[in-house]
Amino acid sequence: MGMQGDFFQLLKEQGYQFGNPAAASAGLEIPNATTILALKYRDGVLVAGDRRATAGNMVMYDRTDKVLEIDRHSVLAIAGVPATAYEMVRVLEHSFKYYRRTQLQELSFEGKLRAVSKLLKENVAAALAGTGAVVPVFAGYDQEQGAAKIYFYDILGAEFEAVEYAVSGSGSPTIRGILHYVNTWGPQPLAALPEEQATVQALRLLASAAEFDSATGGVNRELNLYPVVKLITAAGVQTIPNANLKALYERDVVRAL
Amino acid sequence: MYEEPYRWIEAVGNRRHYLDEQFAMGAPVVALAYADGIVMLTVSRGTPKLYEIYDRIALGGMGHPADLEKLRFSLLEMAHVEGFNRSPSDVTGARLMKYGLAPTIKQAFEEIYKAPFIAKILLAELGLKPERDLFLTINYDGNFEERRGWAALGATPAVQREMGRSIEGRPEFARASLAEAVEIGLCAWGAGSLAQASAEEAEGEPSPAARDGEQAKAEALPDKAALLAHVRKTVAEKSLECIVLERNGPGSSKYRALRPEELGRLLPPAVRASGSD
Repeated sequence: MGMQGDFFQLLKEQGYQFGNPAAASAGLEIPNATTILALKYRDGVLVAGDRRATAGNMVMYDRTDKVLEIDRHSVLAIAGVPATAYEMVRVLEHSFKYYRRTQLQELSFEGKLRAVSKLLKENVAAALAGTGAVVPVFAGYDQEQGAAKIYFYDILGAEFEAVEYAVSGSGSPTIRGILHYVNTWGPQPLAALPEEQATVQALRLLASAAEFDSATGGVNRELNLYPVVKLITAAGVQTIPNANLKALYERDVVRAL
Repeated sequence: MYEEPYRWIEAVGNRRHYLDEQFAMGAPVVALAYADGIVMLTVSRGTPKLYEIYDRIALGGMGHPADLEKLRFSLLEMAHVEGFNRSPSDVTGARLMKYGLAPTIKQAFEEIYKAPFIAKILLAELGLKPERDLFLTINYDGNFEERRGWAALGATPAVQREMGRSIEGRPEFARASLAEAVEIGLCAWGAGSLAQASAEEAEGEPSPAARDGEQAKAEALPDKAALLAHVRKTVAEKSLECIVLERNGPGSSKYRALRPEELGRLLPPAVRASGSD
């Protein structure tokens, strides 16, 4: 029934099927997307991702946007198979809008989280078959509680709340250790960092991931390609412009010779 | 007994009469383009009458709340499924009207064994460029109209014409600021509401009087002060509802309902006096 404001149900009634559980044939290289991170800073949550998509040892694309805005206050950062991930974002985006417009109120933060894990559960068969595994990080601002929040998932749809930060993708083991170190013994915990310093940390972390993981793209200064960095605060989602990232990168990330 | 064509025509005529009566007390709705987008406003008692349909499409309605709700849901469903399966730019007001609303409303109106929809609907669509802004209105019988610049819903076509006259008397509206557009909209609303009230009074001998009346009124539309005074009186008892579709608004959804405090600041002083304080 449409009256429940459930867009996914509506799609299913129309014969839509999410996730394609076809087994990957041996030797087929499926595109993957790679290092994403979310951390709580002074004013909210910062979400960042590199821009490389790979298939096996081929670089497919160097301008991938893996940090996707679902609505004014939430972002889904994706690692895994882009085809499934983009479809997930499209379903979520329409679901949240449909709910708001039919029910005349925002879907609650918990409701949004449930929608993400529901889609991941729908996708389990495809994830296990090897054609559709997605391991996202969901970050958003919970208006009711007045707090920024981060959640991460496994491919089966289990949801975990991250207290300080979350990472995903093939480059994530590298930076997970760094995050732990910086947060515990750094000059100040991540949660106290102002916007600019948090952004610098994110750029450094992604540069470290690119150093050790071939599937994570680094900064390409010739092409003016920088990671995608978004900030979520009470005021909504905001994307840091390339020009600002460039300035910060040149000042605080490039090593002086 | 309705099998005979004459009976059917008679039954449809009765329906028109019945429906016209249903709208006689309804609040008009007005939508117009302004410098930064589209503004739509009405005065409602409790249930809202202005809604968001899709990223760039807003709905205003007159009639029975349950019927409006039903039509609103069918539009929302159609718009979102289309926007998901194709793309958001393929969701257009004209398609929603032609393939969504019009056939449903017309069929319900002509199936004389079933209840018709007691609803008149206005769809406002924000174009990427101002010249692409589109306004669509549909009557309870499924007749629809497309126009540019502005559109209005009123109890009768005569009321809608009065509202149009009020807006077109201010041809600068397309370049107006939001506050100016709200004032122009309120004047049109007031003109519609007054025309409706006087038609109600003169109901004894409707057809000739209405026609003569139209001629007489064509000369003098009530002046701005009188219109705004009427709006102020109405707003004191009911609540003013106002939404905008903002071309440069953030994100993909351009619809925004104005909160009472913001609306309070935008209102012309003549209405603000007792309206919101």
